Amino acid sequence: MSSAASSSPAAAAGGSEGSGGAEGGEIAYVSYGGEQHLPLVMSLVDEELSEPYSIFTYRYFVYLWPQLTFLAFDARDGKCVGTVVCKMGEHRGAFRGYIAMLVVLKPYRGRGIATELVTRSIRVMMESGCEEVTLEAEVTNKGALALYGRLGFIRAKRLYRYYLNGVDAFRLKLLFPRPDPGLPPMMIGNDRDDQKMDSPYL
Amino acid sequence: MEARSSSSAAAAPPPPSIPSSSDQGVWADASPLLAAACRDLQDGELVHGENFSLFAAMSALEIMDPKMDSGIERSRYNSIEEAIEDGVAPIPLSLDRTLDVQRSIDVMDHLFSCEATWHKGHTLAQTVFTCIYLMRMERTSSHAVLNSFCRILRATCNAVISVVSTARTHEEEDLFTMSFGLPLRDEGDEKCLSILNSVEETISRQLRACKAQALSKKKTLEGLESLQDNPDLEEDYCRALLCRLRFRKHFYHVVMCMRKPHGRGLELARKHVASCLTELNLMLKSREFLKSQSSTTLQQGDGNCTTASGCQPVGFDVTLNSRLLSPTPPRAAIRYFERLLHDLDVICASSLDPVLENVLHFIVQFQKTVPDLVPRAFLQTLLVQDGKLYGEHLFSDVISRALSLPDIIGDKEFQMNEFVVQLGQLVVNLIKILCTNTAWQRRKLGKSLQDWSTISIQLELALKREFGETRNVLQNENMCMRVSKQLLIWTQEHAYWVAFRFLTLGFELDLYSPGEYCMVYWYMYVVLTKLIEKMQLRVLASSETSRRKGKKKKDHSKDSARDITFSSSCLLLQCYLLLSEGLSMMLAVLRNESRSFQLPSIFNTEQERFMQHFDLLLKTRVPEHISFYSFEESSSRAGISDLVKYNFFKEIQKIVPSLRGSFASEPEKLAEVRRIEQVAEHNRIALNIINQVGAGEPSLRVSFEFTHHPHFAVAVVKRS
Repeated sequence: MSSAASSSPAAAAGGSEGSGGAEGGEIAYVSYGGEQHLPLVMSLVDEELSEPYSIFTYRYFVYLWPQLTFLAFDARDGKCVGTVVCKMGEHRGAFRGYIAMLVVLKPYRGRGIATELVTRSIRVMMESGCEEVTLEAEVTNKGALALYGRLGFIRAKRLYRYYLNGVDAFRLKLLFPRPDPGLPPMMIGNDRDDQKMDSPYL
Repeated sequence: MEARSSSSAAAAPPPPSIPSSSDQGVWADASPLLAAACRDLQDGELVHGENFSLFAAMSALEIMDPKMDSGIERSRYNSIEEAIEDGVAPIPLSLDRTLDVQRSIDVMDHLFSCEATWHKGHTLAQTVFTCIYLMRMERTSSHAVLNSFCRILRATCNAVISVVSTARTHEEEDLFTMSFGLPLRDEGDEKCLSILNSVEETISRQLRACKAQALSKKKTLEGLESLQDNPDLEEDYCRALLCRLRFRKHFYHVVMCMRKPHGRGLELARKHVASCLTELNLMLKSREFLKSQSSTTLQQGDGNCTTASGCQPVGFDVTLNSRLLSPTPPRAAIRYFERLLHDLDVICASSLDPVLENVLHFIVQFQKTVPDLVPRAFLQTLLVQDGKLYGEHLFSDVISRALSLPDIIGDKEFQMNEFVVQLGQLVVNLIKILCTNTAWQRRKLGKSLQDWSTISIQLELALKREFGETRNVLQNENMCMRVSKQLLIWTQEHAYWVAFRFLTLGFELDLYSPGEYCMVYWYMYVVLTKLIEKMQLRVLASSETSRRKGKKKKDHSKDSARDITFSSSCLLLQCYLLLSEGLSMMLAVLRNESRSFQLPSIFNTEQERFMQHFDLLLKTRVPEHISFYSFEESSSRAGISDLVKYNFFKEIQKIVPSLRGSFASEPEKLAEVRRIEQVAEHNRIALNIINQVGAGEPSLRVSFEFTHHPHFAVAVVKRS
C-alpha cells in the first residue's frame, strides 16, 4: 500500500546537528506528561509536515507509548520547539521500536535537539527490551540520514517511489547488540493495540 | 462543535445535492445527538469498543479537512453526464472548423501527457481516463479525427496493460494496471487500425492537395475535403494532425509487434520505433505554428502547459487533473516517449541469444540506464514466455547448455530430474527478478539466496548418497555422476553470482555509508573468490568432458572459443576481486592508522551493522565459514606495508591488456574495462600518496567517490 506521506514524518528535523547541547539557550527535555502536551505535539507536526494526521493518530501513539514521546522546550520562553513520537511492539517475531514522527522548528535546527530527542526515545526502547528500531526517511533527506547514521542505523532497504510525489525512501534500521543470554529482557510496554505491521499508516 | 436547535418537527430541507428521502431511508438531522455525546465525553476520553480501538481510530478522516478529505475540492459535477450536459466535452469541439481542429490537437497533446504520466507511476483513472471523450467513446463517432485517435489510444493502453500484467512483478503495487470501472474496450477497437488508416489517408490527400496548390500559387479550398476553413492554415494543420495520428499508429504497431511470441516481430518493431521517433520530431516542430494560432488570452501559464498551443484542453475533468501531482508539459512527455522508444529498440535489437550467461549479462546491461516499468515488462515477457526462454527453449535445455554438456540437451531423463526442474524454476525467477526495478530487485535477490542455497545443499547430499564420498574427479566417472557434479558447481556458481549482484546493487541504491565500505568490499572479495573458483571448476570439468570424448579438431576450436569467453569473464571478475580487495584493505588501513571511516558506537557497534547488511548472506551461508570475526580479524591486521606490497591496483593493470584484446568487438565490455582501469590507476596513485605521507598523518583527508564506476570507489586524497 503506498504511503500517504509526501515527506517523511520521522525526518523533519534536518540540517546539520552540532555536537550535542544547545547553543544560545537552554533546551529542556520532557517526557510526554498527558493531554496538556498533545496540542503542542500536534501543532508542531501539523506545521512542519504535510502528512494528514487526525487527532486519533496522535492519541494512538501517545496513549499507548507515552514513555516514547518526548518534547523539547526552549527554557527562555517555554515554547515547545521539538518533539519525537514513537511506538514499539512485536513484529514478525522481533520486538521492534518504530520512530513515527520527529520534528524540530526550523530556527532551532542544527543544535542537536533532534538527536537528543531521538536518543532519549531509543534509550527507552532499548531498556524496554527492543531488539531493533526502524523508520523510513526520504532518500533526499540528507540531514535525517546523517542523524540516524550517527546513531548506528543502517540503510536496510530502498523503497521505490514510496512517497506520493514519487520520491524513494530508505528503511533505516538500528540493531541493538544482543544481550547477555543470562539476562532476560525487560519488557515494559503495552502492545494491546499493536498488530503485525510495518507502518502505523496501514 | 455547534449544536443546532432542531428539536422542532419542521427541519430545514436538505440542500439539493443530497438525494431526497425514499423507501431506502429517511434523512434525519443528527447534530443534536452528536452535540450531546460530545458534551458527555471529557478531554482525552475515547469511545472504545471491541472493534473500535485506537489503532482502528487512526483510519478516521476529518471531513472537510483538505489534507484528508479529497472530496472537499469536488468537481462542479456529480457525474460525467452532468458535465457533458454542461458542455464540458462538446462534439464537435467547436462549430468553427478551425477552432475544432485546434482543440482536437489540444486534446491529443494533453492525452499524450496523461499517457506519459500514467507510465511514470499513476493510475489510468487519474490520467488518460480523465478525458470524457475516452470515457464516452460512442459520442465521438461523428468526429472521425478524434474518434480514431481515441480508439487507437485506448487499444494501445489495453495492450500495454496486458504486457505489464503478464509480467506480474507487483513492484508498482498494481497502480499501473488498475482499471476497474473504466471502459477499456469495445468491439470497435479491433478495427481501430483501419479506422485510423482511413482518417490518415484523407488528411494525407488533403496535405498533398495543399502542397500542389502552394506550387501553383493558388490557395483555395475548392473541391477538397478540407480540414478547416482557412486556406492559409490548412497545410500546417494537416501536418500537425498527421504526425500525431501517425505516431499513434506506429506506436500501436511497436506494441503489437513486440508482443508476438518467440520474438518474431522484433525486427519490424524496430522500423516502427524509427517512424515513431520521426513523428515525435514533427510533433515538436508543430509547436511553433500551433502556439502562434491560439489566442494569447486563452493560454495557460508556461509551467502548467500540456499542449503545444498553450491552451487548456476541453473535455477533461479539470478537478481530477488538479489533483495530479505534476502535470507533464509536452516537452517532458515527448522526452519520456523518446526514452521509452529507445529502450524498446534496445530490446528489439537483442539477438535472442539462448546462452544463459549472455541473457543475464544483457539484462544487467539494460538495467544500467534505469529503464521504467513498461520497457522492463516488455523485456521480461520477451525472455520468459510459457515457461520457456523466448517461448522456445526449455530451461532444462538452457541449463544443460550452460553445463557445457551437449549430449544431454534434450535428454528426457535430465529434463525430468527433480533438481533440474527446480533449478529451471529458479532461473525463471531470477530472470523475472532481474527485470524489476533495482530497489525491489535487490530485496528479491536477497530472498532468493535461500532457494539457491537449499538446492545446493540438497544436490550435495544427493551426490554423496549416490556416488559415495569419492573426491576423485578423473577415475571411473560415469556420465550421470559427471552431470550431477556439473550441476552442483553450476548451482553454487549462480548462488555466488546472485550474492555478488546483491552486494553491488547496494552501491547503486546508495545503501552503504562510507564507514561501511570496508566491510562491503571485504564481503565482495570473499564472494568473488568463490564465484571465480566455481566458474573455473565448471570450465575445467567441461573441457575434461570434451577431452575424454576425443573431440574432432573442429569441435576443439569451438570449445576453445568458448573457453576464451570463460577465461575473459573470469579475468574480468579477477579485476573486480583485486579492486575489492585493494579498496577494503585501503579503508581498513585508514581506519586503523588514522581513525577515519570509523563507525560511531552510541547504540551499537560495527558488528551489528555487519550482521544487518549481510544477514541474508550469513543466514544462507553464501559463502560458508564467514562471520564478523573473520572480517574483523582480517581488517584489524591490515597495514600499509602489506597494501603496498601486494598492490592490487597494479595487478589489474597487468590483466587489462589481454581483456582489451578479448573484448575488442564488444564496446560495452571495453567501456567497462576502461572504467576499471581508471579506478585502478587513481587508487594506485592515491595509495602512493598515502604511503608517502603516512596513513596516520593528521593533515591527510581521504574521501571515496564513485566518479569512474558505480560500484568501485576512487580514493581522493587531500591535505588540509
